[in-house]
Amino acid sequence: MTGADVRDLDPGDGRFSTPSVARVPVRRPTTSRQIAAAPALELPQSQLAADWPEVAEHLREGVVVCGPDGTVRHVSPVAKRLLPDVVVGGTLAAVNHLTSLDSHVRHYGRRLRVRRVALSAGRSCLYVEDVSDSEQRADELAAERAKSAFLAVVGDKLGNPLHPDRAAAAVVRLAVPTLAEVAVLVLAPRSGRARWWRACRAEDETPTVDRGVLAATELPPAITDSLRGVQPHTVDWLVEQAIDAGWLPGVAAHEVAARLVPLPGRDAPAGVLLVARGAGGRYGEDEFDLVRTFAARAGAALTTALLYREQAEVADTLQASLLPVEPAPAPGVQWGTAYRPAQAGLRIGGDFYGSHRLPDGGSVFFLGDVSGKGVEAAVFTGQLRQCLHALHRVEQHPARLLRLLNDALLETTLAHGQGRFATMVLGVVRPHRDGGLGLTLAGGGHLPPLVLRSSGEVEQLPLNGMLVGVVPDPRIGQVSTRLAPGETCLLYSDGVTEARGGRRGEELLGADRLIQALNGCHRMPAPALAERIEQVTCDWLGQRDHDDIAVLALRASGVGGRPQRHLHAVPTLTGPDPQETTAR
Amino acid sequence: MTIATRDTLPEAGYRDYLHCLAEADEHAAVEVACGLLDAGVPADRVLLELVAPAQAEVGERWARNEWSVAQEHAATHISERVVAAVAAYADVRPTGARIVVACMDGEWHALPARLVAEVLRLRGWQVTFLGASVPAAHLVSYLHRYDAYAVALASALPMRLPHAHRMIEACRRSDVPVLVGGRGFGVDGRWARRLGVAWAANAVAAAELLGDERALRASGPADLAHLADDEYAGLVNRRGELIDGALADLTQRFPATRDHTPAQLDSTVSDLGYILDFLAAALYVDDGSLFTEFIEWLTTILDSRGVPAAAIDVSLAYYTRVLHDFPRAVDHLQRGRAVLPAAGQRSA
Repeated sequence: MTGADVRDLDPGDGRFSTPSVARVPVRRPTTSRQIAAAPALELPQSQLAADWPEVAEHLREGVVVCGPDGTVRHVSPVAKRLLPDVVVGGTLAAVNHLTSLDSHVRHYGRRLRVRRVALSAGRSCLYVEDVSDSEQRADELAAERAKSAFLAVVGDKLGNPLHPDRAAAAVVRLAVPTLAEVAVLVLAPRSGRARWWRACRAEDETPTVDRGVLAATELPPAITDSLRGVQPHTVDWLVEQAIDAGWLPGVAAHEVAARLVPLPGRDAPAGVLLVARGAGGRYGEDEFDLVRTFAARAGAALTTALLYREQAEVADTLQASLLPVEPAPAPGVQWGTAYRPAQAGLRIGGDFYGSHRLPDGGSVFFLGDVSGKGVEAAVFTGQLRQCLHALHRVEQHPARLLRLLNDALLETTLAHGQGRFATMVLGVVRPHRDGGLGLTLAGGGHLPPLVLRSSGEVEQLPLNGMLVGVVPDPRIGQVSTRLAPGETCLLYSDGVTEARGGRRGEELLGADRLIQALNGCHRMPAPALAERIEQVTCDWLGQRDHDDIAVLALRASGVGGRPQRHLHAVPTLTGPDPQETTAR
Repeated sequence: MTIATRDTLPEAGYRDYLHCLAEADEHAAVEVACGLLDAGVPADRVLLELVAPAQAEVGERWARNEWSVAQEHAATHISERVVAAVAAYADVRPTGARIVVACMDGEWHALPARLVAEVLRLRGWQVTFLGASVPAAHLVSYLHRYDAYAVALASALPMRLPHAHRMIEACRRSDVPVLVGGRGFGVDGRWARRLGVAWAANAVAAAELLGDERALRASGPADLAHLADDEYAGLVNRRGELIDGALADLTQRFPATRDHTPAQLDSTVSDLGYILDFLAAALYVDDGSLFTEFIEWLTTILDSRGVPAAAIDVSLAYYTRVLHDFPRAVDHLQRGRAVLPAAGQRSA
C-alpha cells in the first residue's frame, strides 16, 4: 500500500474529504513508497501546507512528534504550554506517565487527555488536550448526583415514622460510609443519662452499629456545648475528646479528621452527630454542607420519633384502661373470648365484655356494644364498665342491675347533653353441684345468646329488651337456663352477624351462617370456640373493613370431671407472655 | 413446618399424645408433655418432635376428612395449652433482644408460629407473640411503640403472598428486619426470595438466622417486574364478577348444584374464590407451580369430601375462557388442569 492509496481512502472521519484537500495533486513519488500510517502532517508542498503550521497552532490539541528513536522532533505551541518539560531533542521520559499507555495524565495541576498515533517510518505523534474544565464539570455533576441520591436514600429511610431507637441507629448507619468512616450520634440526655449510637465502616457495604450510655457529666465538653446549642465553628481537641470517650478505638489523634454538628430539635438540639474519617479525609466546606443537610433531616426524624413516642405512651396508657379485661377465673366456668376492633391500629372500640366475681361463688358477666365507633365509643365503654364494677356490689339480680345501669347512663347523658346508648346482655352464672351452671340473663336490646347443647343442638335463648341509656324505664328481657357439664353459652356482638362478605362483599354473615358454623362444635373448649367465631367472621369478611367484633363464651367445665384450674392463662393478642400457667 | 423426627422420642409418648388430642383431653395431653420433660427430654425437642408433628398429623386428618373442623380447632387449642405448659416448665430468663413473632393478617394457623416463638424464647430471646391474624396496622403501631430487633412473620397459605408482601414492606418502613417462614412461602422459600425477604425453613434455622444481623438485612431485592402487565390487579378487580360467572357456568353443567343447601352453596363459592386467590398469588410471584400445587391439594381435599375433580376442571376451564386476555393466568390455569386426575379432563 502506498501513500497515494492511503490518501484516496476516506478514513470516514471527514478530515480528508474537504474539496480543497481532494484537489491537491499527488506528489513526491519517493515518499509514496514509504509506509505511511497517518498522512496528516505530510502535506507540505501545497497552499494548505503553507497554512498548516498556523492552523495547527490554533488547534485545541497540542502536538508532539517523536522520531523512531523516541527523540522529540517537534513540539507545537499548545503542547509547549501543556508539557513545558518536553523539548525538541529530549525524550518523553521527562514527563511522568506520558510513556505509559494511560490516556489520562495529571500534569502541573491540569488533567490532560493524550492520544498516541503511530506515523510512518517508526515516528509517532502525541496529541495532548487539556480537559481539566470539562472533567471538573463532569466530576461536579457526578458529585451533585451522588449527593442527591444520598439525600434521597436518607429521606426514604428517615421519612417514615420510626421508633426513636431505630431512628438513631438509622442515622448513624446512613452516615457511613458517605459522610464518615465512624459516625457517633449522642442524644440529648434524659434524666442525667445520654445514650449514643455509633456506626463504623466495615469491609463490605453494611456498617456495624453499636450503642451505649454515658452519664451526662461524662460527656466530652464539645458534645455538651453543642447539645446546649453553643455551636463553635471549629472545636479544639475534638478528636482527642472523641478518643477519650472511647468512640474512636485504635486510632491516633493525628490520623483522624472529625467534625461535630447538632441535630435540630424542637427547641434545643435533639442530639449531636460526630463524623470522623481517617488520613487525608479532611472535611471541606462542601462536604460539611452535606453533613449539615443530613443533620437537619436526621434531626427532624428524631424529633418526630420522640414526639410520636411521647404521644404513644399516653395513648397506650389510656388504651390499656379501655381494653376489655379478661373474665376473672371462676369455679366451674371455662371462659373464652375474642376481640377485634374495627380500627386495628387503635386496638380499642365500642364493643366490651367482662366479668366480676360474686361473694357467693358465682359471677356476673356481660357483653355489649355502644353506639358510635373509635375512641369516643371506647371511652364510653370504659364509663360503662366502671359503672357496672361499682353497681354489681349493690345489686346482683341481672334485670335490676341493668335497670340501675340504665338510670346511671341516663343521668350522665342528661348532664353532658349528648346521647349515648348501649345494647348488652348481662348475666349471672352460678355453679351447681353436678358440675353444671345455672344462668340468669337480662337483655338490653342486644343479640340473643346462643347455647351449644351436649346433643349438638344450637339453641337461641329468647331474650329481648330495649336499648340501655335511652328511656327512663326500659323494658328489660330476662331468661334463665341451665348448662349441663360441657355445654356452652355464647354471647357475641353484631360485628359477627353483620360482617359483610360473600361473592361481592355485600352479603351479611347472618345468624344462620353463624349457627351453621357452630355445628359440631359442642365439644370445643370455650377459648377455641371464641376463636373459631372470630376466624369464621374474618374469613367471611376477606380483607374488608368491619365493625368491632367481640365474643364471650362460657362453658360448664364440670366440677366432677377434670378441673380446668391448671390452665386459666388465655393468651391474648398482645398480652404478656403466656407463662402464668402453673400447677402441672 | 418442622420435619418430624419423632422416632427419637418414645413412640408410645407420641401415640398417647395424639390420642389425647383426639379425645380433646387437655389435662392428659399436658401430662404426656410434662412426663417427657420430667424424664429429661429438652423442652425444644418436646415442642419440635412431639407437638409439631402431632399438629401436622391433625392437619392431615382434617384434609382426609377424618376430623371435623371443630375437632381440629379443639386439638389445636390443646396443643396451645401444652406449649404454654412446656414454656412455663422451662422458664428461661430472656437475655437477648426483642423479637416480635406474628401471623400474617388472615392467617389463623397460629401454632407453628407459636412454636417458633417458644423455641426462640428457649434460646434466650425476648419474644413477643402477637398471635393469629395480626392486622398490619396493629403490627406497625406495635413496632413504633416498642422497638424490636427483628420481626418473624408466619404464613401457611401461599394465597396470602400479596398481603404478606405489603406487611413485609410495612415492617421494612419501620426499619425493622423481617424474617418469614411457613409453607406459604414455598417448601424451599422460593416465594420469599421472590419478595426479597429472609426466609427460614424451621424454628432452628430461624434461631440461627436471627443470630446474624447482617444476613438478616442482606436479602436481595424483590423480583416483581412482571407485575407491570397488570394481570394481578386485573384479576383482583374482577374477582366478584368471575365467581358469579363460574357459579352460573357450574350450575348449567351440573344441574344438581341448584339443589345445594345454603351451606353447600357457600362452600362452593368460597372454593371458587380460593381458586382465584391462589391464581392471583401465582401471578403475583409469577410462579405457576404455586397454582398447580394448590390444585393438587384442592383435588385431595374435595375428593375426600365427595366432590369430583370434574367439577374443578369445569371451573378452571371457565376461568381459562373468560381470562383469555391474561396470557400468564391462562398458562397457570392450563398447567393446573393438566395435574387434575384423568377423569376430570374429559368433561372439559
